[in-house]
Amino acid sequence: MNTPEDPIDAMLREENHYVEDGGFTAQVMKSLPRRRRNWLRPAILLVAMTAGFGLAIRWLPWEKLTPLNASIWHSLDSQHAQLWMPWIVVTLVVASLIWGLVAALQWED
Amino acid sequence: MSFTDADLIARVLSGEDRHAFGELVRRHQSPVRAFLTRMTRGDTHRADDLAQETFLKAWQKLNTFRGDAKFSTWLFGVAFNEFRNAGRARNEIAADDLADPPPESQTAATDASSRLRLDLTEALKRLNSSERAAILLCCQNGLSHEEAAQVLGCPLGTVKTNILRGKETLRRHLSL
Repeated sequence: MNTPEDPIDAMLREENHYVEDGGFTAQVMKSLPRRRRNWLRPAILLVAMTAGFGLAIRWLPWEKLTPLNASIWHSLDSQHAQLWMPWIVVTLVVASLIWGLVAALQWED
Repeated sequence: MSFTDADLIARVLSGEDRHAFGELVRRHQSPVRAFLTRMTRGDTHRADDLAQETFLKAWQKLNTFRGDAKFSTWLFGVAFNEFRNAGRARNEIAADDLADPPPESQTAATDASSRLRLDLTEALKRLNSSERAAILLCCQNGLSHEEAAQVLGCPLGTVKTNILRGKETLRRHLSL
């Protein structure tokens, strides 16, 4: 059997109205201090990226790259893979390094 | 897609989403502001200042939220601390328990329900801050006695006593 609800509890619950935001949240958000950036992880990433660029410049097969002219587009088949494969490797490495660099710069704690 | 409080807190702490905190404020501003308005005996400006301080503290200390209680319970704790500290700074807490009850509201109530509502508001003002906080948390916001004890930083027995005493005063004043 349910016990009858205390009238004080019932009145208090009934009085629990929703308070309209009325710009309160915006005011709180405006007053929040910025979180301090943690430079350690981005710094490590930047060092890694610099090392990556250095290694890429040193080890990528630049001398094997064929000039980017119309002839390379006619040779996009498996028989001429030695012509376009170095370009694919260079493009992938440079793109991933740039992506990593951008991610490191945008890192925020 | 709606995120739980825990999801939003994780997003804030991972640093990927500052606006997740905005969503937490939007969700919890109403109970916190209502609680502080009652605690400040209807001073909505002071209550809003305290509520703003509460959310600022919550932002700064969010990493100390362990998740073993509900976020709303933790937030009430921060709000009550802000109220208590501001009261201490104004030398109000001790005086609060000794002060004469505030004068009756002179507003003319036209019907029984609005009169009762006014009476309840006035009656709540007559409680001391500990009784008022315990009553508001447990009877209005649905916290358990254990949760209220955690929020108010006092023993469970004290919360129960404050609720009993507070309700007795309210009953007397409301002639229930």
